[in-house]
Amino acid sequence: MKMLRDHLRWWSLDRMYASQLLNTLYKEKVTMNINRFFLIKTICFICIFYFSFNSTSYAIDNADCLTCHADEELYRTSEKSVNESHMREILYVDEVKFNNSVHNINGVTCVDCHADIASLDYNENVPHAKKLQPVLCTTCHAEEGDAFMHGVHMKARRKGITMSCSACHDYHYVTLLAGESVAERENGFCLRCHKPFQSHDWLPQKKAHLAFIECTVCHAPDAGHHVHLKFYDLVTNTFLSGNDVLKILGIGYDDFMPQVDQNKDGIINNDEIETLFLRLRQKNVHIIFHAELVEEMQPLVHHVVKEGATNDCQECHSPDSPYFKAVTIVLTKEDGTVDHYPVERAVLQGYHTSHFSALGGTRVRFLDKIGLAMILGGILVVLAHLSVRIVTIPARRHTKEGHKKTTTGNKEIS
Amino acid sequence: MKGTQMVYVHPAPIRVWHWVNAAGFMALVVTGFQIRFAEIFSFLSLQDAIILHNYTGVVVIADYLLWFGYYFATGKIKIYFPDLRTFVPQAIKQAMFYGYGIFKGEPNPHQMTPDNKFNPLQQNAYLGLMFVFLPAQIFSGLFLWQVKKFEGYIGLMGGVKFVDTIHVLLFYFFAAFLIAHCYLATLGHTPLAHFKAMLTGYEEHHE
Repeated sequence: MKMLRDHLRWWSLDRMYASQLLNTLYKEKVTMNINRFFLIKTICFICIFYFSFNSTSYAIDNADCLTCHADEELYRTSEKSVNESHMREILYVDEVKFNNSVHNINGVTCVDCHADIASLDYNENVPHAKKLQPVLCTTCHAEEGDAFMHGVHMKARRKGITMSCSACHDYHYVTLLAGESVAERENGFCLRCHKPFQSHDWLPQKKAHLAFIECTVCHAPDAGHHVHLKFYDLVTNTFLSGNDVLKILGIGYDDFMPQVDQNKDGIINNDEIETLFLRLRQKNVHIIFHAELVEEMQPLVHHVVKEGATNDCQECHSPDSPYFKAVTIVLTKEDGTVDHYPVERAVLQGYHTSHFSALGGTRVRFLDKIGLAMILGGILVVLAHLSVRIVTIPARRHTKEGHKKTTTGNKEIS
Repeated sequence: MKGTQMVYVHPAPIRVWHWVNAAGFMALVVTGFQIRFAEIFSFLSLQDAIILHNYTGVVVIADYLLWFGYYFATGKIKIYFPDLRTFVPQAIKQAMFYGYGIFKGEPNPHQMTPDNKFNPLQQNAYLGLMFVFLPAQIFSGLFLWQVKKFEGYIGLMGGVKFVDTIHVLLFYFFAAFLIAHCYLATLGHTPLAHFKAMLTGYEEHHE
């Protein structure tokens, strides 16, 4: 798709540029197959012909938009009514942030969303219509829209609360969330409006729950979730990106799974984690996994509920909890995309995730074996001692009677 | 009874501390099992078990402070510290009694007095229990009670799972200790003699 778009951009070059290109080809007598040259020449002429009759329908590049919208002072205001008087609508677009946005990364251009801009007329003060149509996110994000329709936020909208997509997502600067931590996800979304610390009083360890579990894990129960394991450097107290980890290991993304998953069963187990950490320690890097329970980036995550939210403690706090079924190592790339590598849930029951502990759900099993040995040992010692005490009752009675006789005899003598 | 002397060895504050502690420990062990094995036991909901465990923990901490305050204020804390010069031979003697002499009906080598309540083995055990294990259990419990509030200390200990490990291992230890303690309490001159003493404060001494 991207390739096709690039081709379309090339063909939408300015007519003059196309003519220059042709001249260059003629002047420099480029040596090429006569058939290919003829083909290029024909296409160029078709383009020139086409653009001659469609002078206003050339594609609008992001750069065209940013000619004006990169200006930090660009805003609009209306003084037509009291309601809008002196209210500024900032029209500035931060080019760097936009370039890092998920939309730009996926090749979505300004006019893909602002689809009612067909042309730019630089003779006008504003080269397009002053009032644009609202952007319809659901043109591309139909499933997200459907999920949203049935959620609590749609109910809020019916009560008159403005709940557009941009209330949570910044249109121009939407970034990939898959590699983000719970704090980053919540700060950017739910915490803009909600204050979860002022509610959830029923929840024991409220702060810990809110720190390690993304809101939507409970409040969008239809969507999938998994435990993220991110590399955390204990010396520098920082998270390591995928590039950092791979650089230390001296391998590429494609080599990570083949090298870590030594038994080639497609899932990383405790022993393989141990080996990986040993390799990192040999490079003088001391790592633990920072684990968090996060939502998968599915459209259903937009089906946010209030009443139907999970509030049964034992759903999580049991060894068979579905919430800890999917565990993945996350390697975050520079562009914000992530690679997930499946990990056995038993890793959560070990000490590589020493900051992540859910009663019952991630308990360290071998402690129970030690505990069982202690209690059984105590009971056995008691039973053994008691048995010997019972068995030796006649012997003690005999000793006692002998002692009494001796004492009585001594008294009689005296 | 002729030849029997009643000795006041357990003052009222100690009896109160002991029985509150006993009830607290029982409740903590029961709720502890419910919390750890919520999928197996169902005599309480997980949430209720946690709440009860937390409140009981606070009571046991307050009770520990009563014990600590009483023994320090009266100077009797020294009964927990064995005399290192005589400890080893006396401990061997006491162990020989529990492991052999008691079955033959030999007298207990240790005679309980208000100033020398514990035999060397008890001294050693209670010193560890009251000055190491119980404080460790209290602090690990406090940390687990408010994970975010104490996250700095938890971090110093290597993470919540390490704190949990200490708490769980001590939990099992105390559960096993309760069994052993109750049994050892039956080793008086009658099986209920020590229980009665801890209720009345008076221990019977037979000449």
